[in-house]
Amino acid sequence: MDLYHLGPVGWIESQSIYHALALLGLEGLVICYPTTPYICLGLHDDLDYEIDQSYCREHGIPLLRRETGGGVVYLDDRQLFFQLVLRRDNPLLPLRRHRFYEKFLQPAISVYRNLGIAAELRAPADITAGGKKYSGNGSGEIGRCAAYVGNILLDFDFVTMSRALKVPDETYRRHLYRIMRANIITLADCLEYPVEYSTLAANLIAGFEGQLGDLSPRDPDAELLETARRVGERLTSREWLNLPGRRPAGRKVKIAEGLYLLAQQTAEQGYNTVLVRDGIAAEITAGNDAMEPALPVRA
Amino acid sequence: MQMEKRAIPDDLFYDSNDFWIKVAKEAVIGLTDYGQSNIGDIIYLEFVPAGTVVRQGGRCGSIESGKWVGSLLAPVSGVIVETNREAEADPHQVNADPFGRGWLYRMETANRNEIALLMDSGAYKTWIEERIRLKEKDDVTL
Repeated sequence: MDLYHLGPVGWIESQSIYHALALLGLEGLVICYPTTPYICLGLHDDLDYEIDQSYCREHGIPLLRRETGGGVVYLDDRQLFFQLVLRRDNPLLPLRRHRFYEKFLQPAISVYRNLGIAAELRAPADITAGGKKYSGNGSGEIGRCAAYVGNILLDFDFVTMSRALKVPDETYRRHLYRIMRANIITLADCLEYPVEYSTLAANLIAGFEGQLGDLSPRDPDAELLETARRVGERLTSREWLNLPGRRPAGRKVKIAEGLYLLAQQTAEQGYNTVLVRDGIAAEITAGNDAMEPALPVRA
Repeated sequence: MQMEKRAIPDDLFYDSNDFWIKVAKEAVIGLTDYGQSNIGDIIYLEFVPAGTVVRQGGRCGSIESGKWVGSLLAPVSGVIVETNREAEADPHQVNADPFGRGWLYRMETANRNEIALLMDSGAYKTWIEERIRLKEKDDVTL
């Protein structure tokens, strides 16, 4: 199978290359990271429901909607992307969707374990350790192929993620920041030493070679680049971004598998912020609660 | 290993993308029990608008489960006349009752000859067994 170890790429290319591979019916593994930040919506996310577009415009954060599943993510150069494209008739693909992740997240889990982190799969698609989320992942059918995409968080900008999401008010936003900070963890949080991108990428590639066999390094050819350019235009077009999507009643943000922050309307025209963990309300706070500390200022 | 039994009603036709079709004045289309079990907990359904003309194998919507998204593909050609709004509002109905409340859409078929090329329940069962034999010796019995 072909390996596209691209390293730093433009933010659009960090999504459009694997889409282009899939649309061309080409199998491959892409390893890369975007040089600049952006917000990436899942195929069924509703832009107006999810995103504070004014904030994104004012801060120059561009938007893209991918064709794979999962929710809104903030992406930047402190995240290592792995994107596997397989033809849908590839015998390596399990019939059952949840087994895709059991299989293809093993290389990423091994990367964490090699760093001394007891990572495991939280079905269907999170990598967790000690009850905290290390990595979120998604997949989808694109053309005649299936794409599996995920990332390893070297660090994460929780402040910008909190600010870029559309929320009922600043109290909810502070809760959101606090809950994300408490339940999502990065390598910068848990290692006492910095980890090089190149080390992580090498370990990841070795893990995938164990599953897929030898990987042949190559650069994108002219056809792939041209297809990626056209796909990138579509994934970032206003018409595509504005496609309607899921709009749950009341604001609902998924933090990790089984963990949601809800804004629940009350009889007094206000709302409560409800943290739901595995279907049970784990924490309820009045919407006007002023006890939460203010969000830190972005450095 | 968990053994699960999947229903394959005799009065329906089936395609290789795990959709069933009930042939009547207007055909009713849904996802098979085996298909929904492979996909897992369905969290979102989206259909093309009623009135849309689709070809056999063409996309007439999308489906999401557990961070996976896939296409709803038409088993035969025709015009979509109605989509299941209740299943759209509560996609879990497709998991819970794939041949009943979890139907997907109704269609005015364009070419009855296409239906003759679909599988009956016996052929679909054989086809699934072969697929399982080739790809996974796992946890499904029929």
